[in-house]
Amino acid sequence: MKNNRFKLILIAVVALVSVWSIWPTYRDYALTQKLKSFHSAEDSLKFAIDNREAIEQAKDKSLKLGLDLKGGMHLVMEVDILDLVEQKAWNKDATFTRIMADVKKESAEQFNANVVDLVAAGFKKENIRLSRYFYDMRDSDQEIVNKLNGEAKDALTRAREIIRNRIDQYGVAEPVIQTQGSQRLVIELSGVTDEARVRRLLMGTAKLEFKLVKDSETLLRAVQRIGSTPLVAPAANAVATAPVDSSVTTAPVAAAPVPAAPAPQAAAAGVKKLSDVIGMMPNGQVFTPEYARDQVTAVLNRPDVQALLPQDTQLLLAAKPEMTANGEKYFPIYLVQKTPELTGGVITEAKATFSAQDNQPEVSMSMNDEGTSKWARITGANIGKQIAIVLDSAVYSAPVVQSRIPSGNSVINGIGDLNEAKDLEIILKAGALPAPVRILEERTVGPSLGADYIRAGMYSLIWGFTAVAIFMILYYNKAGIAADLALVLNILVVISVLAGFSAALTLPGIAGIVLTMGMAVDANVLIYERIREELGEGKSLRMAIDAGYSRAFSSILDSHVTTLAAAFLLYVYGVGPIQGFAVTLMIGTAASLFTAIVVTRSLFDLLVGSKFMNEKSFG
Amino acid sequence: MRIFQKTNFNFIKHRKIAYAISTILLVAGMVSLFVRGLNYGIDFKGGSEVVIRFEKPVDVGAVRAIMEQAGVNGSVKQYGMDRAFLLKTDFQGDTSKLKALISNSLASRLPGNPSQILSIQAVGPSIASDMKMSALKALAAALVGILLYVSVRFEFKFATAGVAAIFHDVLTVLGLFSLLGGLFDFMPLEVDQSIIAAFLTIAGYSITDTVVVYDRIRERLRGQKPSDYERIFNESMNQTLSRTIITSGTTMLSVIVLFIFAGPAIRSFAFAMFAGILVGTYSSIFVAAPIVFDWQTRSKSPIKFRGA
Repeated sequence: MKNNRFKLILIAVVALVSVWSIWPTYRDYALTQKLKSFHSAEDSLKFAIDNREAIEQAKDKSLKLGLDLKGGMHLVMEVDILDLVEQKAWNKDATFTRIMADVKKESAEQFNANVVDLVAAGFKKENIRLSRYFYDMRDSDQEIVNKLNGEAKDALTRAREIIRNRIDQYGVAEPVIQTQGSQRLVIELSGVTDEARVRRLLMGTAKLEFKLVKDSETLLRAVQRIGSTPLVAPAANAVATAPVDSSVTTAPVAAAPVPAAPAPQAAAAGVKKLSDVIGMMPNGQVFTPEYARDQVTAVLNRPDVQALLPQDTQLLLAAKPEMTANGEKYFPIYLVQKTPELTGGVITEAKATFSAQDNQPEVSMSMNDEGTSKWARITGANIGKQIAIVLDSAVYSAPVVQSRIPSGNSVINGIGDLNEAKDLEIILKAGALPAPVRILEERTVGPSLGADYIRAGMYSLIWGFTAVAIFMILYYNKAGIAADLALVLNILVVISVLAGFSAALTLPGIAGIVLTMGMAVDANVLIYERIREELGEGKSLRMAIDAGYSRAFSSILDSHVTTLAAAFLLYVYGVGPIQGFAVTLMIGTAASLFTAIVVTRSLFDLLVGSKFMNEKSFG
Repeated sequence: MRIFQKTNFNFIKHRKIAYAISTILLVAGMVSLFVRGLNYGIDFKGGSEVVIRFEKPVDVGAVRAIMEQAGVNGSVKQYGMDRAFLLKTDFQGDTSKLKALISNSLASRLPGNPSQILSIQAVGPSIASDMKMSALKALAAALVGILLYVSVRFEFKFATAGVAAIFHDVLTVLGLFSLLGGLFDFMPLEVDQSIIAAFLTIAGYSITDTVVVYDRIRERLRGQKPSDYERIFNESMNQTLSRTIITSGTTMLSVIVLFIFAGPAIRSFAFAMFAGILVGTYSSIFVAAPIVFDWQTRSKSPIKFRGA
């Protein structure tokens, strides 16, 4: 009897803790319903302000819903370690470029290989010491591999911090940002409405550079040298005759900024050479029409084209097109010095505003001390020349330096809209990513589908419980009621453990609970069948119950252990929502050992001998 | 209420029929696995999936034609709910372009029937290969773990037959997925993470019924003559038949509820569980125990029972 009292107290404690843990979830729900019930906005606002603390507390402690139920984005991104390695190399030559290209191909095929190791292997195959390109000449290959691995690890951590910064400033509730393996980031954002903007925030490297613009004569000569490059891949260079003037510089150029290139329709017919889509204005500006932008950018990025340009220069397109009088858009092309004068690392403050002159969105920046003095020196030495403000390899503006700028202030203009300016502000303040990032996996669930899932989950829970509970009562009579009470406690425990540990409930998680309901009563079925058997052999009720529990126990334990093991492995190796299933299955199975055995046993011990129980109670 | 109160089936006598059925099931499944292969979902294959829902009913062919004209190459299928379609296409790192392309073309071609993109999933090939590896590891680890546990808990012959039954169950369901994959619109039967979850759960749960039968056989076998084994095996299986079927039955109730109510995302999982529980119950009666019986009657050494 004493033993039984202890059990009863234990059950009461478990039940109370469960209810206590679930209470905030109920409060949260009730408060939200109440907020919705007000007819006027003022009333609900007043209620929200009056009960702010209660609402926030309930929300904080309530059961969290997974991304699939709440709606949101799940992203896996990869930091491009190869790019980072390339950044670290110096005196890169043709051999280096060739080997790195090979490594790139290799790493695209071997997903899980360490990129640094691949690089090391690539150089080793050619018998070239890594120290020829990396760090100190005296370093051994192993030392360099270690250093590069360290850099890669550091880059991943920095990327995580920077992305966290950006997301925090954008404002997403409870973002989850974790590193995974050696080059991946897992990001979970709930309730995101503007995915495109979030993606831009996450991916934006925001590599800001200040580069000297070469004079127009050098630009013309450079364009002339690369003008005969075919626009498509070299192999497809079949047609030699160009439809219009083949050389921009020798042809008489139209006075108005009318593109010298053919119209888009003709482009489809057979534009073959770069010079066909590059025009020139009398003031020396070079441009390409909008339709050819992507093609031109691709050609300008090719190593063989870049090799034709003067030493340490590159051709860059403007970020935004300019408009002709008759509405045609074209992108100016700049020849800039490849080595930047200054980079975005010196930026300490950024602010999105509207410019005073034309009321267009812009971002004003200020620099740290080092940047300020450099900027003053650079502007002082280049008065009358153009300095391009380059963001992610696109020229945003290229103002002519009027005078020395001692304040360390600069401005990015030529930005599309205020949102873009605001995002730029966030990205610049958070700092540039150490290397570009790529999206490897994305799962986005809209809020309406999430609501559908919640409804489906609720129906499954209700019907699952009803079906199992009714069956147990039909089949096992009063003992079935005891099993059903235990089942209720089991579900309470699962939900309260989820809420208590802030684990999110997902749709597969709900499926796990429903499945657990069917499995939890298995223990009772085994016990009750045994008790019926013992009763059939003529044992007294009390003895039959004793024998039933003790003899069925080993079978129950065996089946629970194997299910728990399977669920645990699923949790370890599974990803995302499936882990939710594994968690609820684990909690439910473990809890059912307690609820299905201890709770029902205590009930029987309490009631056996009373008028509520007799031999017929087990059906 | 009582079902299967006093049964007297001669399971052991008819075991050869059961062996034949199991062999046919397994061979058919294996052949299908080699010929048709498995229908992998994007988790393991990579690619993009977009769920689009329309406000009014629309023909799947119309949506397919619009997508084709918009240059989205992929397949369009009815997706569980009414008026919802699942578009499958290659993996795209930047889904916003895909999304814009779909919503623009649908808006311009079906102006009177607004549509909404409910969800987008895009899985890159590197992630897909990772997830496949993890799934294989989890399955292998689960089978090894259960094998170890069962071999600690039971005598060698029982343990081996029990694990054989688990393999039997998982492979049968796998074969079923290969045979039926892609045949139904309301459940794709694609092998993805949730199906791996089902396989693991089946592996863990399949032993439940086997253990119940085993426990009874061991309990009654002690100190008996080998000539009585056939009778004891049969009686034990008949005595536990009721609980074997009821335990599976309650779990089956849950699974059927999931199949009906939990929506298309869970339906394939529920189907896998349903098949797995069915085959698992069958195998504990017709595969696991008969194997032990055959093995025992053929071997000279008596069963060494653990404990007293």
